[in-house]
Amino acid sequence: MNTHFRKITRALLAFVVTMSGLALTGSMAIAAPVTINLCAVTGTATLTGSVTVPVWGFVPKGTQADCSDVQNTATLPGPVLSVNELDTVTVNVTNALPAATAPVHSIVFEIPGVSFNPGPVDAAVGATLSVTFTANAPGTYLYQSAGDSGRQEAMGLTGALIVRPTSAPDTTIAGQAYHSTSSAYDVESVLVLSQVDLNFNASPDTFNLNTYRATYWLINGKAYPDTAGITAAVGQRVLIRYINAGYDNTAMMLLGMHERVLARDAHLLNNPFDANAETIPAGGTEDVVVTVPATAPPGANGFPLFNRNLHVTNGTPSNDPGGMLTFIHP
Amino acid sequence: MKKRTQWLGLVLVVVICVTMVTPGQAFALPVNPPKIGLVCLNGPTFNLVATSGTIHTPDGNTVFMWSYADSSGSFQYPGPFLCVTQGQTVTVNLTNNLPEATSIVFPGQDAQVTPAGGTAGLVTSEAAAGGGTVSYTFTASQPGTYLYESGSDISKQVEMGLYGGLIVRPSMGANFAYNDASTQFDPTREYVMLLGEVALDLHHAVETGTTYDFNTKVNRYFTINGRSFPDTIQDNSSLLLPTQPYGSLVRIQPTNGSSQPALIRMLNAGADNHPFHPHGNHTREIAQDGRPLLSPGGASASTEHFGETIGSGQTEDFTIRWDNVSTDTAGLSFNDNWDPNTNPIPVAQPNYQNLTFKDGRTWYSGSPYLGYKGTLPTGTVSLNICGEWYFPLHSHALNEFSNYDEGFGGMGTLLRVDPAGGCFTAPSGTALVGGVLKSGSVTALALNDTSYYQVNPKTTTRPTTSGTMSTGSTTLTVSSAAGFPTTGNYYIRTLDTAAGSQEVMLVTGGQGTTTWTVSRGQLGTTAQTHAAGVTVSALATDWYASFSGVQAGSQNLKVTYKGENCGSTTSASCAALTTNLPLQTTKICDWSISGAAGCATATSNGWVTLPAPQSIAVGSSDVSTTWTLPGSGANYIGTGSYLGQVRVLIHTQRWTAASPTPFSTWGNFMQLVYDAP
Repeated sequence: MNTHFRKITRALLAFVVTMSGLALTGSMAIAAPVTINLCAVTGTATLTGSVTVPVWGFVPKGTQADCSDVQNTATLPGPVLSVNELDTVTVNVTNALPAATAPVHSIVFEIPGVSFNPGPVDAAVGATLSVTFTANAPGTYLYQSAGDSGRQEAMGLTGALIVRPTSAPDTTIAGQAYHSTSSAYDVESVLVLSQVDLNFNASPDTFNLNTYRATYWLINGKAYPDTAGITAAVGQRVLIRYINAGYDNTAMMLLGMHERVLARDAHLLNNPFDANAETIPAGGTEDVVVTVPATAPPGANGFPLFNRNLHVTNGTPSNDPGGMLTFIHP
Repeated sequence: MKKRTQWLGLVLVVVICVTMVTPGQAFALPVNPPKIGLVCLNGPTFNLVATSGTIHTPDGNTVFMWSYADSSGSFQYPGPFLCVTQGQTVTVNLTNNLPEATSIVFPGQDAQVTPAGGTAGLVTSEAAAGGGTVSYTFTASQPGTYLYESGSDISKQVEMGLYGGLIVRPSMGANFAYNDASTQFDPTREYVMLLGEVALDLHHAVETGTTYDFNTKVNRYFTINGRSFPDTIQDNSSLLLPTQPYGSLVRIQPTNGSSQPALIRMLNAGADNHPFHPHGNHTREIAQDGRPLLSPGGASASTEHFGETIGSGQTEDFTIRWDNVSTDTAGLSFNDNWDPNTNPIPVAQPNYQNLTFKDGRTWYSGSPYLGYKGTLPTGTVSLNICGEWYFPLHSHALNEFSNYDEGFGGMGTLLRVDPAGGCFTAPSGTALVGGVLKSGSVTALALNDTSYYQVNPKTTTRPTTSGTMSTGSTTLTVSSAAGFPTTGNYYIRTLDTAAGSQEVMLVTGGQGTTTWTVSRGQLGTTAQTHAAGVTVSALATDWYASFSGVQAGSQNLKVTYKGENCGSTTSASCAALTTNLPLQTTKICDWSISGAAGCATATSNGWVTLPAPQSIAVGSSDVSTTWTLPGSGANYIGTGSYLGQVRVLIHTQRWTAASPTPFSTWGNFMQLVYDAP
């Protein structure tokens, strides 16, 4: 993940820890309530070089109730949300998208695989929605806004939610994605996959989606060569959490090592298996562990991890290399 | 001016010559490969050439491609299937004849791939354009099915066709896919399907050197092993497809508890995920990306599928069986156990006159039973050989089951289920070439049952006017020679009624006439005097059955005959014959010796004795014997007026005793089994 996301994650983690600390004064059997406040705002993403594109995205809320202090700061994708198993989580989303009539830009918040407590999940422009759920299953999830019939996801209103396993309320099992020790890792890498069609982003309300044709293929909002590498030393176990926030079933190929595919859609597999070209379905998540071998990679850049659907180009006309391509390296 | 014209002419000649020897025009790969199934280029050292050429599509198009040739440099698509054994040190030397730098990566090889030579590239070391070289060395550490493909300018070069398959055989043996007992398969039925796509506009842009925007890519052709259906069912190295050497027809026969399944190695070199759908039976996925599917405890975690997506860049290995099981767990009959005689389908079949076939052509035999042919509407052309079954294996993304949107085509092939043991057929006719029909007809030979085709020895008489034949006479006059051999030496005997006066003679001359030259007192008998009017009988029965419709190119002919010999020429039941048994010899017509004339009579020169066992003593109990002629059946399958005809002669002679008594030959069942092309 790139530095920007890491910062956000750290900030949120700190936030979570603070809340957890408060809970220790209460019942030991019940995890602390966790509140996450987000704004849905506009922003600008820089793809490769000087190419910029208007986006919509989730950002942590600032001090202003109407999100005015964080307006125009959205980038791709939303922040990585991290909570602990058994946490009672409340997500408040204030809709600060531009007002419109058709489509109406209402946020419809959802986390596939997570059941919210009863209540509205949508917020009109200017309003705030609030959903509450118990994070009762560790794993990797996608959060998104389903508003405007998919246009909001395509504009960037997506992100990753991680539920970390605990041995007791508020006591995480460090270095493990699930309760199974097979999910132990040394390095964690969250990879949100998505695409951008510049023409769509330029006019998201009126663009004919039948003509949607992505020209930038992104890992954590960046296309090669801007993608962040995955830094891991020989022998380290890298947990890769794939979140496919895009529309295309995406085959990711890794050279020089097999991935141990442990979980799909936040469920451990009964029969985990080894893969080097694994397709992550649109809307799905997958957790894999790879151990960095002592052998040298095929080239100086490291072990390539790239989109085997050949979406390794940028822009129009396309330039190769680009797109969903990164490297695992020391 | 004149001189210049001559020079131009010379240049033109040179250009033409060069064109004719350009790599890519030569035929790719093995000259006589197995007709179907995996064709290996064996390692562990491989010399590959990245080069350009053209392929042909079933709709008449030609497409400019890049791919890997073997050391000959002759263009082929896809690259050769590289076969090595686990533990071997594999070296791939690449020469680049393309106009841009290229390289090879080996997905799934976790052992270090060490490049040598070349120049550093984005992913691995590259061979420079226009003849540059690079080598890659690695240990084939784990068995399995893998891709190899370009690691340079990936979006263009992979799409242009720079890929192939790598098979690593396990140390456990070549009849296992992996080092796990559950991955055993029949090594004679090893198949590979390398999936690919062709985006025509890209290929045109590369050929003409124009800019191409990958965001506009539309695939027009979808290939298995470099061919689109129906070319996929052509043989390996078909001369019709000189640059596309690999077919993908899958052939299996019914399996049982002791037989191993066929193996289908699937590799997706395309950019799209392909949902592959087998008709006829499920396939069982046993491995993915070169790793067997095992539970955490080590047991097989294979799964059955009737629709499994082969992801882009992925490999999946499948087994397929055709178990001849009569009932499922619910007690219902299923699969191919139906038999028109012993286990008929319990519903009426549609009248053939009510059937219509698209374009008047069909793979259907006209019979729903495996191995049987039936009646089809007049004018229908059946591509069926002997009642085998055909099922499509294809991408269920149906736009991919087409050639430029025209179906059916593209990413499809056929599963052909042959009858157990091969095609089988019953005789369609019989001919007596030394004998008299006692009872029955050719249909009695179709089934192993209680009806028999019965033949008595041919008899005639000495004319009453011929007088007594002395012991010294070597001339035997008979009333009629019809039914006796017209050429060659053969035995006859006299049926004198007085005890001890019967005699065996050898006819050595006058065959086909009524005046025979004979050698007296044969086979332990002594010359006797014979009265006029005495009956003269052949010592043997000779008849042949003919099979029709045997496809040219069939191999491994197997003849089964089951019959008995009975002690009476008149009884309706088989009179016991337990001693001094008649000896049975079986021959097949070799049409190459003298054509039809060579098999016209029992003693014609075209009959060749089938392999052992021969001269079998057969009494009044049925004896069943099968003879196998390995290899080509070309000499035994008629041509021209006798197209597809196979003749089998049964010669039975009772000759070991001093005084043979009459007998009758009863044929119960005869069958020809063969491997159709």
